[in-house]
Amino acid sequence: MIQFFHVSKQYFCSEALSDINLAIGRGEFVFLTGASGAGKSTLLKLIYKEEEPSKGQILINSVNSTLIPPNKLYKLRRQIGIVFQDFKLLMNRTVHENVAIPLLVRGEKQAVVEKKVNNALALVGLTFRKRYLTAHISGGEQQRVAIARAVIGNPKILIADEPTGNLDTKLSIEIIKIFEKINANGITTIIATHDLNLISLFPRRIIKLDKGQLVQDKKIEANQ
Amino acid sequence: MKFIIRAVQQALANLLRNKIVNSLCLGIIAFTLLVPGIFNYISFNLERYINKLSENVEAIFYIKDDSDGSAIEKLMQRIQANLLVKEVGFTSKNDAETNFSREFPELKYILDEFKNSPFPASIDVKFLANARNLIQVESFIRDIRTAPAIESVQLNLEWARKIAMIKKFTSFVGFSLSAILLIVSIFIIFNVVKINIFYRRDELTIFRLVGASNWYIKTPFLIEGCVLGFLGGLLADGLLLVTIKAFPLYAKFVFNIVKQLIDFKQLPLKIFWQLLITGTAIGLLSSFLSIRRFLKNIPG
Repeated sequence: MIQFFHVSKQYFCSEALSDINLAIGRGEFVFLTGASGAGKSTLLKLIYKEEEPSKGQILINSVNSTLIPPNKLYKLRRQIGIVFQDFKLLMNRTVHENVAIPLLVRGEKQAVVEKKVNNALALVGLTFRKRYLTAHISGGEQQRVAIARAVIGNPKILIADEPTGNLDTKLSIEIIKIFEKINANGITTIIATHDLNLISLFPRRIIKLDKGQLVQDKKIEANQ
Repeated sequence: MKFIIRAVQQALANLLRNKIVNSLCLGIIAFTLLVPGIFNYISFNLERYINKLSENVEAIFYIKDDSDGSAIEKLMQRIQANLLVKEVGFTSKNDAETNFSREFPELKYILDEFKNSPFPASIDVKFLANARNLIQVESFIRDIRTAPAIESVQLNLEWARKIAMIKKFTSFVGFSLSAILLIVSIFIIFNVVKINIFYRRDELTIFRLVGASNWYIKTPFLIEGCVLGFLGGLLADGLLLVTIKAFPLYAKFVFNIVKQLIDFKQLPLKIFWQLLITGTAIGLLSSFLSIRRFLKNIPG
C-alpha cells in the first residue's frame, strides 16, 4: 500500500529524513513515533505529497507519487484522509459544513452528502453538535470533527498527525478507539504521536524515528 | 452544471464579502477603461469625419488645346477603368467659360476681351472615399499626368494628407494609451483577486488537501475576475455616455470646432461592446494569472 525506497528529505541545511525504507500494508494500523523534530510530520507529508522527497521514491497503491503532476494530485488526495495536527477546520463554519467539504469538492449530490455527514458524525459521536459553529465546540470535539472529515470520503489510507496532542488521557484513548473502529473497516491507519504511554495501551505496529532515521519498526503483541 | 452554480455562488459571495475593496477596484477599472474609451470615441469620430471629407478628393486634369477628341476619349476611359475612381466628368472650354461666368458674374466683362474661351478643357475626377488610398491616388495621378494630352493637373490632396496624418497620430496615441491603461487594469484586478484569495487562503488550502481539483479552486476566482471586469466595463460605458452628454454643455463655446468634428449625441455600439468585452477579458486574464500564481505557492 505505502512503500518508501531510500527516501530522504532535506530542508536547506538540515536533513529531516534520511534514507527511509519502509512498507505499510493494506489495512495495517501503525503508530509513528519519535521525539519532536524526529521527522514524523515530514514523513506523513511525503505520503500525501505536501512535501516532495529530496531523494528516493514513494509508492502509494503501486503508483510512484513523485511522478504525479500537480493537476492530478487531487486523485491521490482523495484516497487519503488526513487529520492535521492543527485540525485545519474552518472556525466560521458549522460542524456539518466542515465535515462535508471533501464530498462537496467532489461534486457529490446534496442527499448523499447529508447521509454521509450523518454517518461520519455518528462514528465520532458528534451528531448532536451538527449545527454548531466549529469555533463554539471544545478542542476534543474539534478533533473529532477533523476525524469525521478525514473519513467521510471513504479513503484507503487515514493519516493522523498528533491527533491526541492537546487532549487528556481519557479523551486520547477515546480518539484512538475511534481510529481502531475506522481501521476495522480495512482503512490503513497511520498515527503519528510521541505519547508512548498511549501507544502502550494499544498493541500495534510501531515505527520509531530519531533525528530523521528509522530506528525501530516492530509489532507489539497484545500480551506484551 | 452544479459545479458552475457553486462557482458562481462562490464568486458572488467573494464579491459581496469584500465590498469596499471590490467597489474601489470597480471604480479604478472603470476609470482606466474610460480614458481609452474617450480616446477611441474621439478617434472613431475623427475617422468618420475624415472618411466624409475623403469623399471630396478630386483631381482636375487640364487638356492641351491641340488635343484631339479621340485621345481625350481614350484617356477618360483609362481613368474610368481605375478602381480608385468614383466619377469622371468632362468640362469643355465653353463649359469652363460658362461656369466662370456663373460663379463670378462681376468678372464676366474680362471674358469679353477674348474671342474664344481662355479656359482649358478639363477632365474632372472624383475618387472613392477611402483616405488609406491616398498614396495610390497620388501614384495614379502622376501616371495620368504623363499622358501627351495633359497640360497640367490640379488636386486637393494637401488637406487630405494632413488629415491622414492626424488620423495616424490619433490611432497611435489611442493604441499606446489603451495598452498602458489596460496593463494597469490587469495589475489592479490581479491584486484584488489576490486579496480575495488571501482572505480565503486557509479554506483553499483545506480544499486542496482534501482532494479539490485545481479547476474547483480556480473557477470561482475566474468568474469573479470576469464579473469585476464586466461591471468595470459597464461602468466605463456609463461614464463615457455621461461625458459625451456633458461635454457639449461646458465646451459649448470653447470647443466649437471640436463640436463640428465630433458627434456628441450617442455612444457608438462598437465602443460600448469594446469596453464591455475588454473589461471582461482583462478580468478573466488577470484573475487567471493571480490564481495560477497562488496555486503554485499554496502549501499542499
